[in-house]
Amino acid sequence: MHATPPCALLEARELTVVLPGDAGPVRVLDGVSLTLACGEVVDVTGPSGAGKTTLLRAIARLMPQGSGALFLGGVSASEMGPQRWRSRVALLPQKPVIVAGDIAENLTLPWRLKARDASLLPDANRLRSALDEIGLADVALERDAARLSLGQQARVALTRVLLTRPDVLLLDEPDAALDKASSAALAATLRAFAEDGGGIVRSRHRDDDGLAMRRLALAAGRLTEEARP
Amino acid sequence: MSGAGTGGVIVIGWVELALATGFILVAGAVAIALRLGVTKSLWIATARTYAQLLLLGLVLGWVFRVDSPWVVLGIMLIMITVATLTVARRAPDAPRGSHRRVFASMTLTGFTITFAVTALVVHVEPWYLPRYVIPIAGMIIGNSMSGMALALERCFADLDAREGEILALTALGATPWEAAQDSVRAAIRAGMIPGINTLSAAGIVFIPGMMAGQVLAGADPMVAAPYQIVVMMMIAAADVLGSTMLVMLSYRRRFTADGVYLERSMRTDAR
Repeated sequence: MHATPPCALLEARELTVVLPGDAGPVRVLDGVSLTLACGEVVDVTGPSGAGKTTLLRAIARLMPQGSGALFLGGVSASEMGPQRWRSRVALLPQKPVIVAGDIAENLTLPWRLKARDASLLPDANRLRSALDEIGLADVALERDAARLSLGQQARVALTRVLLTRPDVLLLDEPDAALDKASSAALAATLRAFAEDGGGIVRSRHRDDDGLAMRRLALAAGRLTEEARP
Repeated sequence: MSGAGTGGVIVIGWVELALATGFILVAGAVAIALRLGVTKSLWIATARTYAQLLLLGLVLGWVFRVDSPWVVLGIMLIMITVATLTVARRAPDAPRGSHRRVFASMTLTGFTITFAVTALVVHVEPWYLPRYVIPIAGMIIGNSMSGMALALERCFADLDAREGEILALTALGATPWEAAQDSVRAAIRAGMIPGINTLSAAGIVFIPGMMAGQVLAGADPMVAAPYQIVVMMMIAAADVLGSTMLVMLSYRRRFTADGVYLERSMRTDAR
């Protein structure tokens, strides 16, 4: 049973995204509004091409064409620089991106960017325990990241985002490439993140795994609440 | 109608020119016999070679007689304009407005390197002496044109190939420079490679154009060699300067003001 969400974390108002299409502009999102409370997990479902990825990207301020308003903890996105917003409202794309180097280098990539304070770089112990928590206890930090399986890469990419301690996680089909055991490890990690007060929006086409408190259906650019079974 | 001309140059007359064109007739016959489908292009290219080079000879003769700095600068601007159009045509996927950035990079590179060489290395007097400035500018602009076209094309092809990685990096808080720098480096490297290859092969695989010309004109090979070294150095410098400036001015155009990479599906000018 889920506790009553204690606070408003993220709010998206009237998000509209229009993209160029073969037969003229296409309204991929059409006035979508969404609220997310602290500690809440929301799933967005819908067929391929419904705009789930676009919605997550729009919330992360990673869509170029669009209108609408975003708030984090009551503060408007317009008062926050895009890099600052994205470091607090973190999108994890569906396809894991692994850069050349070992796993430790991949996990510490965000601290090599200007947007982050390099003095807050997590140490090797922190990296190790983060990998253990996500079910990669048998994987050495020194291993070449390119040699990981797709499922392992997906978990390294998620661990990298979690280490940056965002307020909101936007996960695009996070368990699409994972087997059952890996999905269970991932769900446990996400549950812990939500219990710490973080909010999660997932796009999913898989069956309900019981983690989400609400399921929203996206169709023709509009969002509707799904009745829970 | 041939013989020793002024300054040791053997003058090629119309008869010899017609004889040389006979070689192209042989090539044309091969093209026809094997149905290569290039016969028409070959005739057009041959006619253009005649027209362009004879016209160049006439124009250069006029420019040398007029001896005006404005004419020299005007000719350099014409060369830069034509080179700009060529570069932009070879990189059709570059964002709109590339012409302006190519023109700016080409102008800065062309003028800076040309006059650095003529003033500091060759010590030309007066500074605009057409006999030196125009051929040197032509070599610099022509060579940097190839490097810049390669760099521009590579930059945007590489960015598109990495759009998933760029999205992930941007989502982690990367600035456009942090997300694009690998592609920018690959592009500048691509622009420099022809120049490096030319430097490495010069004198072994081929006698470079300027040295060959001077030797044919009767110059001492040991006088011609330093000239050629200067030319090679300035071409390499122009490649680096032109490609770097162009790519640095261009890559940001593929990102929005908010630092989002414009993927193909988001572009109204996608080709």
